[in-house]
Amino acid sequence: MNVLEVKHALKILGKKEVVRGVSFEVERGQLLAILGPSGCGKTTTLRMIAGLEIPDYGEIWIAGALASRSQKIVISQKERHIGMVFQDLALWPHMTVYKNIEFGLKTIGLTRAERQKRIEAVLGKVNMQKYANDYPARLSGGQQQLIAIARAIVTEPKLLLMDEPLSNIDMQLRDEIRKEIKRIQQETGITTVYVTHDQEDAFLLADKIAVMNAGVVVQIDSPEEIYFSPGSLFVANFIGESNTIRVKIADRDKVVTPWGELSCKTNGHETGDTFLFFRPHQVQIEQNGFYEGVIMKREFIDGRYCYYIGIPQGEIKFYNQNFYRIGEFVRFSIKEANLLFS
Amino acid sequence: MTLGFFFALFLGTTFLPIVWMFGSSLYEDGRFSFVYYRDIFFTQRYVRVIFNSLILASITTALSSLAGVPTGFFLAKTNLPLKNVFKICFLIPFIIPSYIVGIAWANLLGRTGFLNALLSQYTPLSPESISNFMYSLYGASFILSINLFPVIMLMTEYALKNVNPRLEESGLIGGSIFQVIRQITLPLIAPAILSSMMIVFVLSLSEFGIPSLLQINVLTTQIFTQFSAFYNEKAATAIAFPLIATTIMLMIVEQVYFRGKSFEILGRRASHGTIRYQERWLTVIGILFCAFIFILCVVVPLTTLMVGSKTVSAYYDAFNLAKNGIKNTILYGSLGATFLTVVGFFLGYLSEKIQSKLRNSIAPFIWLFFAVPATVIGVGLIKICNRPEGIFQFIYGSLWIIILGYGARFLPLSSRIMANYFKQVSNSTEEAGIVMGASWFRILKKIIVPLQGYGIVAAWLISFMFCVGELGTTILVYPPGHETLPITLFTVMVNSPANIVSALSIIIVGMTLLPLGIFLATTRYFLTMEAKGSRVLR
Repeated sequence: MNVLEVKHALKILGKKEVVRGVSFEVERGQLLAILGPSGCGKTTTLRMIAGLEIPDYGEIWIAGALASRSQKIVISQKERHIGMVFQDLALWPHMTVYKNIEFGLKTIGLTRAERQKRIEAVLGKVNMQKYANDYPARLSGGQQQLIAIARAIVTEPKLLLMDEPLSNIDMQLRDEIRKEIKRIQQETGITTVYVTHDQEDAFLLADKIAVMNAGVVVQIDSPEEIYFSPGSLFVANFIGESNTIRVKIADRDKVVTPWGELSCKTNGHETGDTFLFFRPHQVQIEQNGFYEGVIMKREFIDGRYCYYIGIPQGEIKFYNQNFYRIGEFVRFSIKEANLLFS
Repeated sequence: MTLGFFFALFLGTTFLPIVWMFGSSLYEDGRFSFVYYRDIFFTQRYVRVIFNSLILASITTALSSLAGVPTGFFLAKTNLPLKNVFKICFLIPFIIPSYIVGIAWANLLGRTGFLNALLSQYTPLSPESISNFMYSLYGASFILSINLFPVIMLMTEYALKNVNPRLEESGLIGGSIFQVIRQITLPLIAPAILSSMMIVFVLSLSEFGIPSLLQINVLTTQIFTQFSAFYNEKAATAIAFPLIATTIMLMIVEQVYFRGKSFEILGRRASHGTIRYQERWLTVIGILFCAFIFILCVVVPLTTLMVGSKTVSAYYDAFNLAKNGIKNTILYGSLGATFLTVVGFFLGYLSEKIQSKLRNSIAPFIWLFFAVPATVIGVGLIKICNRPEGIFQFIYGSLWIIILGYGARFLPLSSRIMANYFKQVSNSTEEAGIVMGASWFRILKKIIVPLQGYGIVAAWLISFMFCVGELGTTILVYPPGHETLPITLFTVMVNSPANIVSALSIIIVGMTLLPLGIFLATTRYFLTMEAKGSRVLR
């Protein structure tokens, strides 16, 4: 069952269409990451789901109920049953950790005893029991993060929204908090929408990734699909590393590349000039490879070599464990699965 | 809805009186007529008055810049010892009512003044010429500059502290301090200085206290005379027209050209590091200059008043004479400050947090009214409230008309102070509450108000300081028996001994400076709290 459905949501801020007809669904217990460059409309989409922005067009359904519709908030935040973690966390500096978490519980009208039970439980979940009476400013960045999450999930919302919660944290801590988020999300089974511009966040956390660009969801798929079968040149270039080479489609299954002819399916692309895209791992060095090239550049990264083969008007990047000299001739092939033309 | 109510209240107290006045000044015998305006623009006498006002404002602006820019520079850019003490002392002439400094200097340079005697003995100047200088446009400009130079000083200091230090460092590598100051620093802060000069110009145009004290014939005093001596409020309004027109024009230029930056310094702290020049000679010049300004603007006036009051019994007499005034001042000041803080809180919130086109248009709009002369507001309030129907009659004859007057004069100020505090707290602190489904009132009570505690205290105290010294509007609107301390002072000045006047002035100074002391103490308190880590996450 879908906990969240966004249908053709459109939002104009100022004179600009920031979100242009975005649609997607999130199933119960799933974590959907909305991934995209800054200014692509991902945070605005999240704010529409939270009811902090009203869509100018389209519908937002939460747990089977219509929440917002073109220029109208149908159900208030109180009835949406959502939790949200803000980019700057928005912990209230004048309240203790306990009071911060208690705020939402008072809104749903729990008794004092019930509130205390829930707060203790949620602090246990994020391993922060010791800090109940501290003010947020006394906590470290990572601890503040966990409190913000605890505050968002204590009401047991149907949907958890996270707006780039890791963007203000240094690299080492990021890893830890990411693991914590993953653990808490899996333990609670809470349906989550996670907005980020960081691929690592999206790939490590998400069950499904929606890639956004210029106000549009350009692809929504599992992390593997997004990586191995990017649906467009934008996704291909935005995610992971890629080789983008200018080529000419000569025939239905023949492409003229700067290093020779390539026999592959062109998936109905028209003949003529275009761009060919493939990942570095699709380049394989073989004794009997189809093509020949010269190693132009070599870098040593993460225990392996990154090589660049020189071709007219550019270079092809690939990784390999073996050592090749600069200037050495190598034979290589390109795995034809998942080749992409613009 | 609440916000709408407070916006309406603002329109009612500040906007309506002015519009009403202008509307009615265009009617004569039930017909549309420009007769009053024709009188102003085509009579030699009034042209002279307009001219006087412009001269007063120009000289004041020039003098204030001469004092304000260097002091701002020394405060921001050198290792001046006792920097904070100097800064607070320089704020005193701005905070205490301008006419107090006027009274002090008039005592000193007046015909029987100590400094007058000294000067006429050791220089070729005659006692008359010195006294005439004091009671001239130039004397008034001098006093007004003492009152207003802190505006330029603060803005210069603020702008200097906000100059990216890298820009100056890159100049210092190859150039001298002078080169850097002239070619890099000054051009960068020129807009801020210009803008503060414009504000000083506008504030001196609308000043009433000093010209009236020194009997200078300018637009604001003319308005008062037309209204209270000739009961000709339409002529009074017509005279106010050039004043308001110039003011609004300059304010619009300030808003459009400088984007209203000049007003945004209240309650803000500079964000990144500042280069300080370590040169000893610069520090020495700084000490000498600041000491000179300090003596001129603070030591001389306050000592004169204290010495002028002669005996302790003078204070006793003054206190007895002004008992009612003191009581009223404290009561009305507190009521006024509370009114200003509450309405200012919501207006500030409205102008800062509401995301709409409305917001961008409100902020500059509110500021326009800060520059409206006090006497004009007074006349407008009387126009509106002096009518037989129920509520108006009630307001007209009671203390509430004074409170409304305070509101009309200082709402722009208190709302901007609050707006600046709101600016420092991220929207998401509120949204976090909204997402949890809390009602707006709960968010207001539990999040917004507690987070703005410091801002609210600051707005109240600053409002109180300004209310206590308010003269221009109160002198027109106060009902019998409701006079405040400044009114008592102006009334007794004519027929009481000088020492009583001095003592009264000192009492007013005390009453305005007390909140400043509290303000500084609370600032320190909140800052320590913050340092302890139990407050504001930013």
